[in-house]
Formats: sequence, C-alpha cells, structure tokens
Amino acid sequence: MSDRLVAACGEVVGSGTDPGALARVVSWSVRPRRSPDALRRAARDHPDDTVAAPSARLATLAGPPRDDDAGAALPLVRAWADAGVRVALVGDPGYPPRVAEGWPEVDAPAWLAWRGHPDWQAPAVAIVGARRASGYGTAVAAWLADAVARAGVRVVSGGALGIDAAAHRAALEQPGGTTVVLGCGHAVAYPRPHATPGRLFDRIVAHGGAVVSEALPHQPPRAGPVRARNRIVAALADVVVVVEGGARSGSLLTAGASAERGRTVLAVPGDVRATGSAAPHRLLAEGVAPCTGPDDLLAALAAVGVPRRHPDGDGTAGGAPPGVAAAPGPPSTLPPAARAVLARHWPRPVRLEDLAIEAALPIPTLLAATTRAAVAGEVVETVEGLRLRRAPAPGR
Amino acid sequence: MTAVAVVRSIALVGLEPHPVRVECTRASGLPGLRLVGLPDTAVREAGDRVRTAIQRAGLTWPQDRLVVNLAPADLPKVGTGFDLPLAVGLLAATGQVPVGSLAGLFAVGELGLDGRARPATGSLPAAAGARAHGARRLLVPSAAASEAALIDGLEVVPVDDLAETVAVLRGERPARRAAPAGVAPAGTGPDLAEVRGQPVARRAVELAAAGGHHLLLSGPPGCGKTMLAHRMRGLLPPLAVDEALEVAAIHSLAGERAPDQPLDLEPPLREPHHTASAAALVGGGSGIPRPGELSLAHRGILLLDELLETPRWVLDALRQPLERGSVVITRARARVVYPARVLLVAATNPCPCGHLGDPLRACACRPDRVERYRSRLSGPLLDRLDLQVDLRPVDRRHLLGPPDGEGTATVAARVLAARQLAAERWGRPALVATTPTARIRPTVRPAALRALADGLERLGRSARAFDRCLRVARTAADLAGSELVTTEHVEEALAYRLPSLEPAR
Ligand SMILES: Nc1ncnc2c1ncn2[C@@H]1O[C@H](COP(=O)(O)OP(=O)(O)O)[C@@H](O)[C@H]1O
Ligand SMILES: [Mg+2]
Repeated sequence: MSDRLVAACGEVVGSGTDPGALARVVSWSVRPRRSPDALRRAARDHPDDTVAAPSARLATLAGPPRDDDAGAALPLVRAWADAGVRVALVGDPGYPPRVAEGWPEVDAPAWLAWRGHPDWQAPAVAIVGARRASGYGTAVAAWLADAVARAGVRVVSGGALGIDAAAHRAALEQPGGTTVVLGCGHAVAYPRPHATPGRLFDRIVAHGGAVVSEALPHQPPRAGPVRARNRIVAALADVVVVVEGGARSGSLLTAGASAERGRTVLAVPGDVRATGSAAPHRLLAEGVAPCTGPDDLLAALAAVGVPRRHPDGDGTAGGAPPGVAAAPGPPSTLPPAARAVLARHWPRPVRLEDLAIEAALPIPTLLAATTRAAVAGEVVETVEGLRLRRAPAPGR
Repeated sequence: MTAVAVVRSIALVGLEPHPVRVECTRASGLPGLRLVGLPDTAVREAGDRVRTAIQRAGLTWPQDRLVVNLAPADLPKVGTGFDLPLAVGLLAATGQVPVGSLAGLFAVGELGLDGRARPATGSLPAAAGARAHGARRLLVPSAAASEAALIDGLEVVPVDDLAETVAVLRGERPARRAAPAGVAPAGTGPDLAEVRGQPVARRAVELAAAGGHHLLLSGPPGCGKTMLAHRMRGLLPPLAVDEALEVAAIHSLAGERAPDQPLDLEPPLREPHHTASAAALVGGGSGIPRPGELSLAHRGILLLDELLETPRWVLDALRQPLERGSVVITRARARVVYPARVLLVAATNPCPCGHLGDPLRACACRPDRVERYRSRLSGPLLDRLDLQVDLRPVDRRHLLGPPDGEGTATVAARVLAARQLAAERWGRPALVATTPTARIRPTVRPAALRALADGLERLGRSARAFDRCLRVARTAADLAGSELVTTEHVEEALAYRLPSLEPAR
C-alpha cells in the first residue's frame, strides 16, 4: 500500500519535494482530528538540530504511515493528480520561501498544493475585501489589479465573489497575472460560479496564473480554513491593500496577519455611508496608509525594495491611471455625451436611467450604444449600473 | 306507443359545445323515470329536481314509466344545465306543452325544487354553441339571458320558472325579450403617466405590448413593478367582439363572470398569487376540468408577481402551455383544450432581501444565496422571457413631481401602429413574439444579423437568445416604423436582460 502511495506522490510533487516525505505527512493528516499544523507545533516545541530541512523534520515527526492511513491517503493524492495539482512541502524549493520564512515559529502550512503557474518569486500585491462588495469597491479593486498586473506585479487574493473576483478578473490577462488562494480543497467546486470548468479559476490558470490551497483535495470550505487562508494571502504578497469590508470582516484578519508577517498594509478610503467602508476606515484610523490609486501600491512596493520586472510603456510607476493614457485604446464606441457622464462618475457605476437623463439620450439610442460599448469591452455592466472598464484619461 | 318529444341542448366539453338531443317518451311498465345515455351524478339527480319542479308548478307528473335518452350516448354529460330541457321534454311527451313548440328550440338551465330556473355555468359558450348548431330560440333562465343575448342571430327567451316556460310554449303568454349585456367602454384603467421615472422599463413595456413578448421586471419592493404591469393592459389594442366573446366564454365557464356584466373589450389581466397551485394556474379539477388562470388570461396579460417565490414545479407546468398557446388537460372521460395565448409579465425581487444593487440600502443576503436565488430563474422559463428589465426605486423627488413620461393614449397609439405595420407585412394580424424567425430573418439587414451573433458571443450569452433578440429587434423596428431591422434595433434588443452577478468579461 505504502509503495503505491509513494508512487502516486511522485506524480504530484513539486521540485525538490521527496515523495516519501509527502506520503508520510499526508497519511498522518488523513486521520480524524489531526491537522498538519500539529506537526509544525511539534517541530517548534521539540527542536532537532540534526535534521536541517523542514520537510524532512515533518516526515520524521509523522513517522511511517499505518496501512489504513496510507490507504485513505491514496485516493486523495490521486485526486490531486487528476486535477493537475503540484504539491510542495514547507521549506522545499517548490514551496514559496516568503511563506516558509520563520517556520516553525511562524504558522506556515505544511504543504501548498497549486494548479497553474504560481510564480512565487514575482513581486506581489494582495487585494482583499468583502464578498458583499459595492459597485465602487469592485471598480476600485479592478482598477488597482489591472494597473499593478500591467506593471508586472502578481495579484493575490481569495477565491470569493465580490472584491476577490473583481481583482482576479482585471489582472488575469495582464503580464503580472493573478493567484487565487482557496479556502477549500482543489476537488471542491467552491464557489461554484468560479470553480465550474471553464469559468474564472480555469481562465486564471489558462492565462498563466495559479490557484493555491493548503487543504486536502476534498476538504469543504469552512469558516476556520477561510480565515486561515487569509494568512497565506498575506504571506504570498509584498503589499496588502484592503478595499472593502464590514466591521467584523475577514479583511481585518488579513490585515492583522499581514502586519504579523511584516507586510505593508494599505486601505482604500470608501464612502462614509457604506457599511463596506468600516474595515478600511478602521485601518486608516489606526494609522495604515491610504491607497488612493495604483501609484500608492507601486510606491509601497518600491519602498520595500521590490524590483519591477515588466515596466510598462511610459516608464512611470503607474503615474497615470491605466488604460487610455498608457496605451491609446480603440476610439470610443459611446456617444460623447454618454462617455462624458460615465467618466465624470468613474469609478462609480451609473444607472441607465440616470445616464439617459444626464446624457440627454432617448432610451432606444442609449441602450443600443451601451450594448455596443459592452461588446467592445469599453464598459462593464454591474448590478449597480454601467461603468467604464478603464479609468478615463484626465480631460477625456 | 306515444310520440317522442325532443328538446335540444348543449353539453360543454371544456369550451367545446356539443349538441345533445333530450328524447323523452312514455313507455309501459312500472311508474318511474329512467335516464340513459351516459349521464353523470348531477344529471341523474335531475330526475328528482324536475319531478318536484313540475309538481310545484301545478303540472302533472304522469303515473307512467318515462324514458329519457340523452343522445349521442357516447358524449359525457355533466352539470345541471339539462334540467330545463328535460322538464320541457317530459311535459311535451305527456301532452302538457305542444310538441310543435319544440321546433328549433334549445334549452339550457338548472331548475330548483321550487321550479325556479337558475343559470348553469358556461351560459355564454352554451349559447354560442346553440347558435352554431342551428338553434333559432334558446330557452335560458332569466339571470343568464343578457349574457346569452350577446350572441347574434339567436332569439333568447328568458324564463323565471317552469310555470312561465310552459305559458310561453303554450302561447298563453308572449315571450320576453332579453336585453344584451352591452359592451363596456375600453380605456378606463389606470394611466401610464402615473408611473414616474423607470424609462427603461416603460420602453420594455411598450415593446412587450407591441410584439407580445413575455416580460420580466426585476427590482426591489415598491419600485413600480406592479404599477407598470397593471398599466400594460391599457396599452394592448382592444379586443374585437368575437375575441371578447371568446374571452367572456372562458370566464363564464369558470364562473368568473356575472351574467349581466357587459362584454369587456379590454384584454383580461389575471394576477394569481404565488401560492396558487399548478391546477389553479393551468386548469384542472375533477370531472370536466375547469380553465385555469392561464386561460382566464387568454388574449390578455398573466401577471406572475414574486416569480421566484413560485415553486419550481408550478413554473414548469406553465412552460408547455405558454409555448403552445393552449392548455390540454386529459381526463379519463374527456380531453379538454383551453386557449391560453397570454402575454406573461413576471415580477421578482433581485435577491431574497430585495435590495441587491440598491445604491442606498445594503443588500443583506449572503452572496451565495443571491447566486442560488438567481439560478432558480435560469433555465427554460427564463428563456421565454424575451424582455428582462432591472428596476430600482425612483427618487422621492420624482414621485412627488409632475409626470415625466407619456400617458397611456400616446403609447397605445404607437403600439397599435406597430401592430398594423406587422399585420401589413405578413398579410394578417400576427404577434411578432409568435412569428417563426424564418419569416423575420428576410427583414433583417445582414450586418444586423452579424452584430447579433457577435454580440451574443462577446457578452457571454447563450445562442438560444438569438431568436429572442431577433424578435425583440423586429418589434423595435416596427415601433420605429422601419421595414428593415437594423444593427441599432438588434443592439437595443440585446440590452434587455438582467445584469449578470459575475460578468463573463
Ligand atoms: N415609478 C413609480 N412611479 C410612481 N409611483 C410609484 C413608482 N414606484 C412605486 N410607486 C408607488 O409605490 C407603490 C407601490 O408600487 P408597486 O408597483 O406596487 O411596487 P412593486 O410592485 O415594485 O413592489 C405604488 O402604488 C405607487 O404609489
Ligand atoms: Mg408588486
């Protein structure tokens, strides 16, 4: 049994990870009420100088697998293999050093399992916020993600609806790409709209991004692991920006985890009337720096000494908002009056009814124009209305 | 051997009138009444009602054996409408009314134990059926007379009771004349000008009325969904008299119409509650099934409020009838077809709490619940809602201000003009929504067809939406008085759908 497990592990290990060690750690973890984190705590509490590599230490602590544990672990490892997942144990070359840093004192996962191209070494910005996001929040998240990913920075976020999804969507086709950190296993289709084949997660992987999880493949999403996921998001990034979140939101936990990891945290000011502004405003009150645009993020990256890898055309650190100014896009498909209204409200979405009044256009004409603009990708339709996909250039 | 007295009547199988001969004769044997020819319980009990009524009216119940045959024997006969023809036939067979007075006579109606005549359900379709099967005179209870008199070319003889019936048939008393119920003036409903703001929904309502497209209004409580739906009725062209009679016949059959109610030329509007059963919606019940809301809304509007609160299986029951324009109900004894060509207007909250996308009130729903709520909308029924509009509450200032949109008369005139354009093009009145797209395509510019295919793909929409958008675009062109469908019409049509929670791009 054990041999077959080791062989299966051989198919999923990332570079430098020993299949035998992975087989031991996974087998140990499949037993009920056992978390792989107990191995880290054991390593922390009983230091052993004779074993250098963290993964070897974990394997030693886990010991040789019992037959029934190995039997239970085999289908799990095969599920990883079926999903095209790679797995690396903490401290191994395939495991991101910035996450392993400080292990075993720092709470880093025993392994990370990923699909796609995680590009662990890239400069990275985590964009985090609520699932229940406003049109303003999603627009800002998309704006920031688009701009930093264009500048070659990897975007990192959770896999949830709302802010997370807005950030991934905006970044996925840009040079920096994007990394999703799941709160569940790879074989669990959650959240369904993103995990369904061909949808967001698959598109991210297809465009050179990655989907990462510290869980066994069939582990369902639970409140605990989702919160634990935030510590990985923070660990994977150089700079963390909180876009929107309620008073007791996971965004604050991520900010806390980021501070523990020594990451720079920024917060996006919001509408003072909106409940989603509670988390960023509390962080701002506590002295966190405000993020008023991609410039602030790129400056924060520079301040922590992160080099830029894919400088974009104009060479400024995102000096102008992305889009029109940086690379003159195709001519607008919108009537000038409608475009002017959308630009004036940007990044807030505008209801069609209001757009019709402000741009003084008859409804049939306006609807035809906005469809054309949506088809051309010039505008995005949200439940709160329409907005320009990219920030308008000043004066345009 | 005595003569056989024959009175004719009408049996309704659904809306379909079937002529029935009530043949009465005396036979030798023990005194009593024997009914043959597939009568149901209500008809079998007619014997007792009729005997009492005859005696109360001071007439003679003969001490003979009486045999009554309801022909044709293979037709199921239900209800109480055979009391009157049965009484008249028995009186003629026993020489109490002249057999000659039965020529060309049809009778439909129920008798009370006191001899009083009461209308049976469906007097209007029964009267129409009698005329169609060669009746010259129709004997009906007085209360049903004005309804029956809506049918042209038929002498309707109202009778209060059996005594009056006999007097009229003996020629002792002149027959009274029934006054037809008359026609109700159209255009008395609430006016569209009362709706403030909502220009996109108003446009969708106009398109729906012009082309007969099913419509979905999504929005939080109090944004005017019900208001708009109620005002759509005034936008539909008035019914022709024969259409109005068809509608009234269904309502008469369902017992949803007072017999003296004037003929309504305004298309019906039905609003079943979301707790209504599938049978109440599509029709059903034991015996001969009754028409449901779907048929009561025939040639008019079926408003399904709180669409997502309606159980899935109830919605599924609507699908086929909507597609076919009729309801088919099969029972052991009869297969009934009711017409059901309706314009479906569905209203729904955007999410369980109703505030998704509201700029002022935060949505209190967990995002995955919103997703699940919405997914219930998807599927075959949503595919049939050609026009989908997302509404938001109107600002208080607008509500208190002067009207900011057109009134019913203006919009109804455009709707009528668009329908006339379509009728001229296809040579007969036809709703765009039910016209095969093969007939629409030749009227569409090639560039517009390409824009439609391209738009659907880029917006991540299913190819099934192609026909739907094409039809809406055709209606937009009709409203603009344009013979050809252009790219602009197609682009407008593509806009009538709810924003996706997770856009494809
Ligand atoms: N757009 C509107 N214009 C004028 N009055 C409105 C409008 N929307 C709502 N109202 C007022 O609010 C009431 C409730 O509207 P209703 O149509 O029942 O809302 P819904 O069906 O969307 O819940 C109406 O009777 C009307 O007085
Ligand atoms: Mg309502």
